[in-house]
Parts: sequence; C-alpha cells; structure tokens
Amino acid sequence: MNLLVDGGRHREALLALEDGTALRGRSVGAEGETFGEIVFNTSMVGYQEIVSDPSYAGQIVTFTYPQLGNYGVNEKDMQADALHLKGFVCHDACYTPSNWQSVVSLPDFLASRGVVGIEGVDTRAVTLAIREGGAMRAAISTTDLDPKSLVRRVRESPHIEEHNYVADVSCKEPHVVRPKGEVHHRVVAVDCGEKAGIARRMAEVGIEVTVVPWDTPAEKIIAMEPDGVFFSNGPGDPDTVPTVPETVRAILGKLPVFGICLGNQMITLAAGARVEKLPYGHHGGNEPVMNLLTGKVEITAQNHNYGPVFSTFGPLVPELSGGLTEHPESLLTWSRMHVAPVAMNERYGRIRLTHVNLNDGTPEGIQFLDLPAFSMQYHPEAKPGPNDSAYMFESFSRLMDGREDYLAIDVREGRRF
Amino acid sequence: MPKRTDIKKILIIGSGPIVIGQACEFDYSGTQACKALREEGYEVILVNSNPATIMTDPETADRTYVEPITAASVAKVIAKELPDALLPNMGGQTGLNCAVALAEQGVLDKYGVEVIGCDIESIQTGEDRELFAEAMRDIGLEVARSETAHTLEECERAAEDIGYPVVIRPAYTLGGAGGGMAYTHDDLVRIAREGLALSANSEVLIEQSLEGWKEIEMEVMRDSAGNGIVVCSIENLDPMGVHTGDSITVAPCQTLNDFEMQRLRDYSLAVLERVGVACGGSNVQFAVNPTDGRVIVIEMNPRVSRSSALASKATGFPIAKEAALLAVGYTLDEITNDITQATPACFEPSIDYCVVKIPRFAFEKFKGADSTLTTRMKAVGEVMAIGSTFEEALQKAMRSLEQGHAGLGADGNDNFDEEAFEERVATPTPQRILYVAEALRRGWGVERVFEATHIDRWFLNRIADIVTAERTISELGLIGLDHNHMLAAKELGFSDRQLAYLTGTSEEVVRAVREVVGVRPLVKTVDTCAGEFAARTSYHYFTYEDGGATERTEAEKPRVVILSAGPNRIGQGIEFDYCCVHAAYALEAKGYETVMVNCNPETVSTDYDTSDRLYFEPLTFEDVMNVIEVEKPVGVIVTLGGQTPINLAGRLKAAGVPIMGTQPEAIDLAEDRDRFASLLDRLEIAYPPSSTAETMEDATEVARRIGYPLLVRPSYVLGGRGMAIVYDHDDLRTYMAEATRISPDHPVYLDSFLEDAIELDVDALCDGTQCYVGSVLEHIEECGIHSGDSACCWPPFSLSDSIMERVREITRKLALAVDIHGLLNIQFAVKDEQVLVIELNPRASRTVPFSSKATGVPLARCAARIMSGETIAQLGLPPEDRMPSHYAVKEAVMPWSRFPGADVHLGPEMKSTGEVMGIDTTFPKAYAKTREAIDYEIPMSGKVFVSVCDRDKRSIAPVALSLTNLGYDLVATRGTAKTLRAAGIPCEVVRPISEGSPNVLDMMAAGEIAFLINTPRGGSSRGDGAKIRSEAVNRGVDMATTMSGATALIQAIAALRKGPLDVYALQDL
Repeated sequence: MNLLVDGGRHREALLALEDGTALRGRSVGAEGETFGEIVFNTSMVGYQEIVSDPSYAGQIVTFTYPQLGNYGVNEKDMQADALHLKGFVCHDACYTPSNWQSVVSLPDFLASRGVVGIEGVDTRAVTLAIREGGAMRAAISTTDLDPKSLVRRVRESPHIEEHNYVADVSCKEPHVVRPKGEVHHRVVAVDCGEKAGIARRMAEVGIEVTVVPWDTPAEKIIAMEPDGVFFSNGPGDPDTVPTVPETVRAILGKLPVFGICLGNQMITLAAGARVEKLPYGHHGGNEPVMNLLTGKVEITAQNHNYGPVFSTFGPLVPELSGGLTEHPESLLTWSRMHVAPVAMNERYGRIRLTHVNLNDGTPEGIQFLDLPAFSMQYHPEAKPGPNDSAYMFESFSRLMDGREDYLAIDVREGRRF
Repeated sequence: MPKRTDIKKILIIGSGPIVIGQACEFDYSGTQACKALREEGYEVILVNSNPATIMTDPETADRTYVEPITAASVAKVIAKELPDALLPNMGGQTGLNCAVALAEQGVLDKYGVEVIGCDIESIQTGEDRELFAEAMRDIGLEVARSETAHTLEECERAAEDIGYPVVIRPAYTLGGAGGGMAYTHDDLVRIAREGLALSANSEVLIEQSLEGWKEIEMEVMRDSAGNGIVVCSIENLDPMGVHTGDSITVAPCQTLNDFEMQRLRDYSLAVLERVGVACGGSNVQFAVNPTDGRVIVIEMNPRVSRSSALASKATGFPIAKEAALLAVGYTLDEITNDITQATPACFEPSIDYCVVKIPRFAFEKFKGADSTLTTRMKAVGEVMAIGSTFEEALQKAMRSLEQGHAGLGADGNDNFDEEAFEERVATPTPQRILYVAEALRRGWGVERVFEATHIDRWFLNRIADIVTAERTISELGLIGLDHNHMLAAKELGFSDRQLAYLTGTSEEVVRAVREVVGVRPLVKTVDTCAGEFAARTSYHYFTYEDGGATERTEAEKPRVVILSAGPNRIGQGIEFDYCCVHAAYALEAKGYETVMVNCNPETVSTDYDTSDRLYFEPLTFEDVMNVIEVEKPVGVIVTLGGQTPINLAGRLKAAGVPIMGTQPEAIDLAEDRDRFASLLDRLEIAYPPSSTAETMEDATEVARRIGYPLLVRPSYVLGGRGMAIVYDHDDLRTYMAEATRISPDHPVYLDSFLEDAIELDVDALCDGTQCYVGSVLEHIEECGIHSGDSACCWPPFSLSDSIMERVREITRKLALAVDIHGLLNIQFAVKDEQVLVIELNPRASRTVPFSSKATGVPLARCAARIMSGETIAQLGLPPEDRMPSHYAVKEAVMPWSRFPGADVHLGPEMKSTGEVMGIDTTFPKAYAKTREAIDYEIPMSGKVFVSVCDRDKRSIAPVALSLTNLGYDLVATRGTAKTLRAAGIPCEVVRPISEGSPNVLDMMAAGEIAFLINTPRGGSSRGDGAKIRSEAVNRGVDMATTMSGATALIQAIAALRKGPLDVYALQDL
C-alpha cells in the first residue's frame, strides 16, 4: 500500500542481500526479522499457492509481478496448512482484494501466519541481482534498518545447505486423500513437503493417496502393499535429506515409482547420478518443456534450485539415442532432434531422458526402461501454473496398470476440462 | 517442422483504409508479416488500398498493389502474380472477408492458391453465430443464449427459455434505439412491445444478460504441431456491455486467481482447436460472472487483431511476426524469442509491470451522436501506458490521451455535469472514468460506485487510493513532499502538473523540488520474461522506485530522439507515424542510434524493431524530458509527428534541448497568423482577406469588412477542429457562442471564404538554402471542405503550367523565408487564375505518405536526412515538373455509419478516419478505384436521386445530362426538378419527407436508388437533406455531397463502362 494512502501506518523495513544490495521498503505481513535464501518467482498469478508451497521453506520469495494480493486468499487453493517460506518481497501489496472466493487479504493472511514481508521494493532490481549473482542469502528486517549492519548479518547467516528443511515441513502422521469416485489405485506418497495439489490431482484420476512422513522406512511402505509409491517435492538441498534416497533404492523395482521435483532428485541420487545447483533456479509458471516422446511442448510450473545432471546416469546407448555415442554439450540437441536418449545406468539399466527445458536445456524428466519408474523435475500438478502437464498423473496410473507407453500422452489431455 | 519449401510466393491482404474498429494495428501486423516472410526467403505480394501504411512502402513487400481489397480486384492480382499461398489473417476482418469471397468465387481453386495460417472453414466457424455456438457446445463451453422473436408471445417464450434478466435488442433501428434490459415479465412486455414497433421488420433479439460480468480476453497462439501458448490476458475495466475496443483494458488480468486463469487458458486453447485454427494467433473473449466464476465464451477471432497488437506491445512478444512464421510451417519451439535471442518463442511471456490501454474518442466531431458506449465500437484511437502499478499506468495513460488531462483528474481541468452527475457515473461514456474518480472524491465510497457501475471493486479501490493520495498531497503541500512522499506520489503516477495543481504551484517548481529531493524515474525494460533472462532489445518505460536500478545503456553512437504522434484521432493518424518510422530508418542508415517516443500501441513506430531504442511513454513535456535527460540526444525531431510534438517544441528548446530541423522560432512564425500575414505581405503573396476576433462585436466588425461567407476557426488546431463556414450573421453568432468554449485563451480566425476555388496541397522539402516541391495535389472538392476529407489527385489535372510554376515559386519563397529545415506543407486556393496561400504547416503533413507513394520520392526519409545535415542537392531527387505515366488519387473514408444521428456532410471540420489510394492511367479510372476501395459498389443502372442547394442549381444540368446519357433515371426534389426540366432533362419528382410516403426514403428502402447527389447548404443540418443522407449511410448507398464530387463520380462511372480496370504494382511505376 502506498505511503500516501496508508498514512504511514506500516513500519519501515529493509531488505538486504548477500551481494550488498540493500533496499528500503515498508513492512507487510508480520513485523520482525527473517533470514533465508532469496529467489524470484515470475508467475503473474498464484501467489497463494506459492506462499503455501512447502518447497519454499528456507527461502525468501521475491515476486516479479508488482501488485500482489489482488484477488485475496481463498480456502481451497492452499498447498499446505502451514506457511513455510521465510519471507516475502513485493512491490505493492493489496489490502482491499476483490474476488468472490476471497476470505482474507494477503497481507492479513501473512501477518496471521507470522510471515515477515516487505513491500515498496524495486523487485526487478532484486530479480536482476539474483540473475547475475545467483540465489543468495538475504534478510528482511523491520528492526535493523541499517543497511551495513543487515548486509553484514546476512553474510554471517547460515546457508540453506546447512539444514534439512524436509524434516521441518513433512507431515508427522500419515493421512489419506481419497478420490471422489471409484478408487483405481492405491499409492503411498512420501511427504518431503508435498503440495496439496499433488494428492488432489491424483485423486482426480482415481488414485487413493496415503501420505506418510518423509522418514517412513521402505519396509513399512512396502508392507502397506500399495500399487505404487510417490516421492514428493520438498525444500532445500537434496544432499541434506538423509535416508530418502535409500528408501527409493529399496522400493525401485519392487513397486512402480513416481517422483516430482525433490522426489526426482531423490530418485537421481538413488541411481547414483549427480544433482547440481542451478545458478538461480527455475521459479515460475511459463517454462517450456518438451516431451521428447511426443515432440510436444508443455508450458510448465517450476520451482527448484537443484536438478539432475543427465550425463551422470551413465553412458549413452547409441541405438536408442539417435546414433549419438557421446552426451552432447546441451540437452537441447535432443529437443532439436526430437529424440529421447537413453543412458545405461550401472544400477538400474536403461534410463531415458523424457523431458527437456527449452529455455536452458536442463533435464526435466526421466523414465526407467528396465523397471517401472519415472519422475519429473517440474510440477505437473501446477498450482499455480498451466494445466498442460496434468497428464502425468494419468501416466502414473497407466504405469501402475503396466502399460509401456504410459508417458506418450498428448499435452492436450492435461487441459481437458 | 522446418519451414515449407513447396511454397515460394505468398500473397498478403492488408486491411484497407483506417476505419473505426480497424486501424493501423493491421499496418503493424502486416508489416511484421512481410518482413518476417521475406527474411525467410519468400517472395511477398501485398494488396492494400491504404497509402498511409508502412506496409505499402515499395520496400516492405516484393510486389505492392495499392488496389481495392475486393475479391474482383485481388483476383486480378492473383491472376497476374500467381502466388502459391494466401496469408489472410493479417488484414483484420477485411482480409478474412476477402479471402472467404475469393474462395467462394473459386478464384483460389482456379489458380491453385493455398490458404495458410487458417482455413476458410475455421474463418466461417469463428464468424457465424450459429456455427460458433454449436462448436462451443461440442467442447462443453457455454455461450450467451439468444433467440430472435417477431411477436410478443415469441418474446415471452424466449425470455422464459433463457431466464431473466434478458436484453432486448430490436433489429434494424438506428443506433440500437428501443432496446433495454428486462428483469421481469412486466419489463419484457413493455420493452419488447416498443422494440417490435420500432424495428423495421418487427424483429427483436432476446439475449441472456451478462450485465456486470467481467470481460476477459486471451491472446493465444498455436502451431501446426498442436503446441499452444497464451501470450497475454487482458481484463476490461468496463464490465460486459462496452465493446472491448471502447473499454479501458488492463494487462495482465488483475482479478482472477490461478484456478480461474488456468481454466480460461484451457478453454482458449480448446476453442482454437475446435474452431480449426491450424496455426497462428487468435483472440478469445470471455465473460466471467464475478459472483460465482461462471464462464461464457463471447467470441473468437481467428486472426491478429487490435488486441493482439496491444498484447504484443504489452509483452514484447511479436504475435504477428510469429504467426507469419508459423503459417509457413515452423513450430513455436523452432522460433527464437526476439528479445532474449536465447530462449524459444514457445513460452508464455511473464510481465513485471502493469499495462493500461485507454481508447480515444471523437464525439466532439459528430454533433448529435450519442456518446454512450455500447457493443458497437466508436473509438478512433487508443493509448497504452506502462507502470509498476495499475494506478501509475492508468494515470500515465490518461495524460497520454492529449485531451487536457494531466492524469486521472486533479489537474484543474475538471468540468462535471452537476445536474446529471449520478447518471454520468452510471453510464459508460468516454468521461466515465473521471466521474468515477470524482464520485469517490465526493465520498460516494467504493460500494456505491460499484452498485452504479459494476466496475470490479479492485479497480475502484485502486482509484480510491489515488483519490486518497490526492487529498494527502494537498494536505502535505509542496513543503511536505519530502523524498519518501514525493516518491510515493510518483509511484501512483501523479504527473508534475497534477502535483503542481494539488499543491498550488507550477509544474516547473515541482520538477525543481523533485530534483532537490532526489526523485527521478528509472528506466525499465520490457523483456517478455520479467527479468529472468537478459534482454537484447531496448524497449523501455519509466517508473519510480526507491533505490532500485536503472537499465539505461551508454550510447555507442550519437542518439536522435524522434517524437511521434500519440493516439490516433481524426486529423492526426497513421500518416504521422509513417513519417516517424521513415525518419528512424533514414537516421539509422546514417549512423545514428534512433530513440522513438510514443504511446500508441497500434503503430509501427512502437514496434521495438523500428528504432534502436523505444520508450513507451506519454508525449508530455515531463515524460519527454525524462527520455531526453537519460538519452542525452544530439537532436530531437519534432516536425514529423503532427501537432503533438510541435506543441512541445518551444518548451523543449527553452529547456535547452537541441531541436533538429525546423526551429521552434520558425514554427511560431508559421503558426502565428499575424506574423505570417505580415510575411506574406512583405513577400507580396496573396492570401484570403482575414482577421481575428475575440468577441462577437469584433467578429461582426470583421464580417462587415470582409463580407460573408466566412471561414471561421479557433487558433492552433489540427484537423480543422471547431472550423465552420458561416454564411450570415446568425451562423456567426451561433459559432462565436460555441467557439469561446473550444479555446478560451485564443482568438477566433475569420477568413474570407473562397467559394468555388480549387484547393491545392503542396508537400515540399527545404534545407535552408534550397527548396524542393515534392508534390502538388489538386483537391477534387472545392475550398471549404477540409483537406483531410477531400479527395485529391497527383499530378494536378486542371492546372496550367504557369499556375503550377507560380505555386512552386511561392512555396520556395515561403520555405526559405520561414527558414524550414525539413518538410513543409502549404495549402493554396486557386481562384480566377489567382494563387492564394491559405496556410503553411512547418511540419510533415497528412499527405506525406500519399505524396511519397504517388511520386516515388520518400519525402519523410529525405526530411530526416536534411535534418541531419544533408542538402537537397545530395538527395538526388527527380525533376519537379516531370510528367508521370499514371494518376494517383486519394479519397477520404468517412465514419458516418458509426455515429447515427450526426449529420452527414463535408465541411471545414475534418471527420474522416482514413484514406484510400487508387492508381491508374487516367484520373477517372484512379478515382473509380478509390470508390471501389471504400467498398461502394456503384450500380450501373437504376435511379439517381438528385437534390442540390441553390448555389449548385446552375451547374447541375450538365451533370444530370451525363447521368441520363449513362442510362440512369433521375429522381429529384421539386426545386431541383424545376431546374432539370428547364434544361430539358426528364426526371421523376418525389415529395418532401414531411409530406409522407412515398418519398425518397421509401425508394431507398426498396433498393431503387443507385446513388445520391445531394449538396447541403452551408453548415446546416436541418431538414430533409440530413435525413436522406443519414438513411443513405444506413443503407450503404453511395453519395456525392459536392458538385465536384458528383462530377468525379460520373467520370469514374464512365471510365468503368469502358471495361475492367487493370492492377498496377508500385514497383512497376
């Protein structure tokens, strides 16, 4: 809210970045001080889903769209009951929202959940700083308004890699999400910070989901005799998450497996491949991804700072990789050729790259050819974002039915209404 | 898929003249398509009758036909050029309609021309109400329900079916008279009964009411592989009921949540697929119920549109260019994003700013027309503004309109209709937004304004915030505006002028204080991706941020700022944009970095490809100075963008800005009537006796001295606003009473009106020592008809060599005496062998594009080169007195049909929206082409209605004789019939309308009248003439309202009788 409108009701606040950037603004949400890794999200709508996404645990989210909170906050689009993000940066927050579903304004909602935020900030400048300097540590404070001091304290604050945020955000007790209609499959979802939208999407295709805590042992999961196991998205550095890759390893080959985001990284680590940190990650709802099996492009929702390195799964299988014997420098080679290459993994045999990000050539999806498993780095459930990739849940269903071509679904299927 | 190699030659159809609803956005899209396809190695053939476009420049396409966009004419082009493919969706509805006609007439099959981009069937599905409704039902989407009814019982049944409330629209009534909204059965009976009575064929449409629903547009693209993207969502501030072209619109959509947005995205892509858009861009419009989110599909356009141009400018994503590439086989993932040059075009732009578009209207030109906004578009232009917030963008857009507003009011220019205040808040009109703000100022509260307007509360709350801030600013005063508060004011988009008004000081003082407290705007970039990737193009806007980062770059070469023309309006349109674009091309070639400033989203000048750097900013002193302070240009060009930059020239120069070309002192000399008159006296150049008056007494004195008729007008206007011919004292009194309202600070000019003089338009170049007369255009209509509304011909067809020499000599003398460096335009009157100067415009004129195309000399480009220091001698221009092998005719296009109730006649105040050009070997043939291009089919037999004013009675006989010789029967009013009988010409007499049926109105209704010759007397809009002309417009009957126009029309008919006309490519002339 503009200073001339609020009559100075909101306290001054300061945003400080590790690179020395310090921007003044005004407090929005809770007052106080917060430290975290700063990222930017380019979605123009969907702030409610973003602030309630557990994957943002440990992070301060900068919204590139300048006016936030226009349509308020509603009851049905929450992605988790609690808010896990560290902080909130925007240009202008709306205290008088308008939408028939709105029950509370975004600033009031953030305040009630104790989330510290700042508005009145040049969010484009913050975005360009992150683009140039990478995701970095930052702080928002309404108590320490001295730029020098706050920047110094940011530089002394812990890195996101130093904490296992998954343990913070995962459910403590199992719970079940049931489809409205007939149950076709029963799945156990390992909750590393699962967005509610995922279970809802599964329910839409007839999957009953039992959500279990992140550290549930594999034996216990197998003992539940599900039709498949799902590894969810979640916050932080995958290397800080112990035991889940072992859980994946214990289940792969025994039950059909599907993973999203952090789940994809857990599966990658289970296969002995490497996960790298991207310069500033992908956070937005407009990332083009090609399904190499259909040649179709889906506009996807993404939220990750880490991702697998495809070449580390193993050497190429030339006869399944368009004749190429060496991993090309960029995965965009595959999208240009419309070929889904296959690597030979020591542990699990043939693993195929199924999806590639057309912006920067990062791997977005893999499929195990010698056992029933596949996973995505992006968010097919969207929430927020386009529905193009919603067909992935149908794919999971088909995988559990034992179909070979389960991933070759036209993107338009995701947009059925 | 890579591009197709089986097609080589592609035909593109343009959209023809600028009309309301179809403006220069199609020049932008067509030009992009031509460029993109030629870069891919295709040969591009273009047909467009509009000479003011960049697309019809001989360099834009390989073969350019400035010919009528009719199936018959385009068929000739196809027969001559034998293209492999036709791209129909770049030329608006005109292009699509023409393509459908060509297909239906078998022309495409005959010559084996493939339609690319979208097929004929999908065009029909998109167009046809029934087919579209069925298609939508197929995919499970709702459309607004409607039924036609012919009796009260049918109306009742329809309303029961559809469910109340319903909208009742009588068919075939003037301006939708007699319709209304029925909430109950009683309402229905009352309104339907009236509607049935008013309708010419007792037909009414009963429609589901969507009153108060949100109107949302989605700009969607799809490729042949089935990939789909939404380029932009646009939310109308005005709820359903106002045409989107007449609505204030905002991008991106503001009040829908993610679920609602993604649902519309899914729907839009499904609509494209179902309608059958193989590839390209389309626009899908939805109504969304604000109380339960229910969605209804309104319509879709399987082509680029005004909205797609807006979406392209709003996001930086060039829809038309990509659509052209998709049409030749590429898929979205194979095309690179122009702006990042690293990522693919297959993504959805994310923007990190807010965009507001506001339409500009011209109701003041059409007295008698109702200014209520409806579903029929009436805007003549639009502005777009970019800001960090809706509030900032809205205020910037308001001041971009150039209608005296410095923002959303709060500038001392408010003038509210107190008596009808409540009604003016509730009724959508061009001024409604100001009434909404004022209602909030007066303490109505958001709820009450919402009840009155149904504008979404979000928008109302933002406007309420602006109003609250106004109050705070007033309370703080200038002293209270410290850094933080000044910044906060600028963040809400307040201009220095508004702050000056609110704090009781001057704009200059506010600017100075702002400097002192350190509040300066930052340069930001439109980059399609919200900063996620680096941008390689320089498309910018200004905004205010605390701290923050500015994105200006150091100049590598000297920079030139070109100030363009702002929103299209009657009198200042695409022609000036054309000139600015040419300047950008010319100066870039000369090694300058060009910086364009404009706020009109429809134009080629605001394509980021046109200049090196583009600032999408209002053309006010404050905003232009922001650009100049950042860019530090070596020169600023003010003489190519019409009156808009001319009006800024003096202040810019006074602020130390280097003006390129003609200097403000010279501009003042030409525009100051007294100083200019003394110059003419000194040079012994004749001009019509004239004088100025500030009061009625002055004016009466002048009239006594000079004599009637008089041409009267206010000072400093463009497009002849407020101009009139007065024939007597009463006329003069009426005029003076109104004139003081038009411009209270300036006197009124009174010129002796030269009846029956020939008017000439001269476009010339001058470098300070030499002058080159680029073109002398002879007007068809005599003096007194505004030059913009008059047809004209190059070369002149009735002037002697000695007169031509005299015209050139005077032009040369004046250009040098005024000290023009660049373009000038002089209007002459030739009467009785005497050459008189009417006025000199020290800038590019409306006729520059036409002159350039007719003569083959790119005048605007030459002007830019002169401004950068070249001499005329260096330009290598052809001799002035050469005799070309062709005649080129320009004819004006009038918007009568959009303004029911306004009088249809030509006069000294310009009313046309656009123009067409015809080229042929003789004047009559070229003129005939212009009539065809305006879409008048001239029946070759039938009755011609003739009714002329007394002044014209003497000259009607030869015209009438020609008509009977051509085989037409004549119908005349009593007075005219008397004259005709005296000349021995047979004619049928019809009774005056007041004496009842049968009269000429009935004959028109029966389709008996081929065309009309009706010349009104003076500025009168009374009597039968007005009714007859208005009915002719309604029924699409061609008419001539001047004797000279009638003569030209008859010559054209005679030429057409001799056989079909050939088509000519500009490149062959």
